[in-house]
Amino acid sequence: MKWFRQWAQKSPWILHYNAGSCNGCDIEILAALGPDYDLERFGVLNRGNPKQSDIFLVTGPVTYRSRERLVELYTQIPEPKVVVAMGACTATGGVFRGMYNVEDGIDTYIPVDVYIPGCAPSPQLLIDGMAKALEIWVQKSRDIEKPHRLFGGIRKTLHYLDRRTMAQTLAQSKEKEPQ
Amino acid sequence: MMVWIVLLAPLWGGFILGAERKIRAHMQHRMGPPLLQPFYDMAKLMQKRTTIIHSGHALLALGYFVTLWIAVGVVLLDGNVLWAIFIHLLASVLLVTAGFSVPSIFSHVGANRELLAIVSYEPILLLLGVAWYVSSGSWESGAIALGGTYWTSMPLLGVALLMVVLLKTGKSPFDMAHAHQEIVGGVEVEYSGIFYEVLYMARFLEYIFIYAFVFLWGGVVAVALFFVLANLIDNATARLTPAQTVRWFYALGLPLALLNLLGLVA
Repeated sequence: MKWFRQWAQKSPWILHYNAGSCNGCDIEILAALGPDYDLERFGVLNRGNPKQSDIFLVTGPVTYRSRERLVELYTQIPEPKVVVAMGACTATGGVFRGMYNVEDGIDTYIPVDVYIPGCAPSPQLLIDGMAKALEIWVQKSRDIEKPHRLFGGIRKTLHYLDRRTMAQTLAQSKEKEPQ
Repeated sequence: MMVWIVLLAPLWGGFILGAERKIRAHMQHRMGPPLLQPFYDMAKLMQKRTTIIHSGHALLALGYFVTLWIAVGVVLLDGNVLWAIFIHLLASVLLVTAGFSVPSIFSHVGANRELLAIVSYEPILLLLGVAWYVSSGSWESGAIALGGTYWTSMPLLGVALLMVVLLKTGKSPFDMAHAHQEIVGGVEVEYSGIFYEVLYMARFLEYIFIYAFVFLWGGVVAVALFFVLANLIDNATARLTPAQTVRWFYALGLPLALLNLLGLVA
């Protein structure tokens, strides 16, 4: 699957979720998808469907009413998936931190892979964050493949035996070495 | 040569879709994704974990894809045009059944709109087939192609066919069936992973199918012209509602097709 993996990382589809943002970050996302920055040249598409998305792009401090939907959307994205928290509010709660209806950032509910700082982050920062998210995504898809390696147990045993023989031979040869 | 086009139809369709995304991006002063982007998407979708609602739902997507491929084969390998149209109709019905088989509101809305789309374009395609029979004396696509191009004898049907191309390829004024930000893709909303890939490749086949009709109508020049025109119209217009779409097809497309047919018969 190594051959496919090279191709697969060129097609990250994002699911954009607004968890109570002031729309500043959302406008920056639209600017990044527009003609000036053109995220689509990296194959990025804004899908709006969790079942077909790879990157979960969240904006806004999680409000009390949006937290259930946040977790539900996260669970609906099939693996491998990457969560990107865009903006200061999404990372820590930002200027809304400590308010009675705000849950202070999405990492209270779901694991986050990339934090993009700024209020609102510039499209350049968003593109940087996407590049970082792609790295993590490739690593995650590699990790998913690991348990499926055929004859993994046999290879491991052979490897162990081989190492033991080598260690013995080395010890013997060291004994034989003239001082 | 036609056999190779049919056997590797998803491959050519992928190139067409990639070229289209590139052209659309350049029309909007963007760089756009690389030409091979549909294949990158497919490789990605093969890696994703697949979640299915129930096996019948997944199987209907496969049935839609295979039936559509057969329809493409019939129209390209000198088959009966009417057969191709009706096998294509069967494929669409399988897709609609898939849409209604899951308890998802977006899927149901998408299936309803798919049915409205069938109601809109099907009479025009049938009238086009009849017009070809009237002017070339045969239902076979090979004989129709040998009868030359139909620019001068069927100009009004060409306009109607352009509307059908816009609808079938999901282009802007008539893209209510796959409205992405409105009903999240309609019928395809509950598909993921490898089964969404099947639907994605089926979209390539839809392109090949409808552009095969354009090729029969006006040759390679017509295919290139319709391709550019469809993308221009897609970039320049906003989406119509389902009711407006049906009204456009019955108020403009169908009368144009009928007028042209009457002119041929008289």
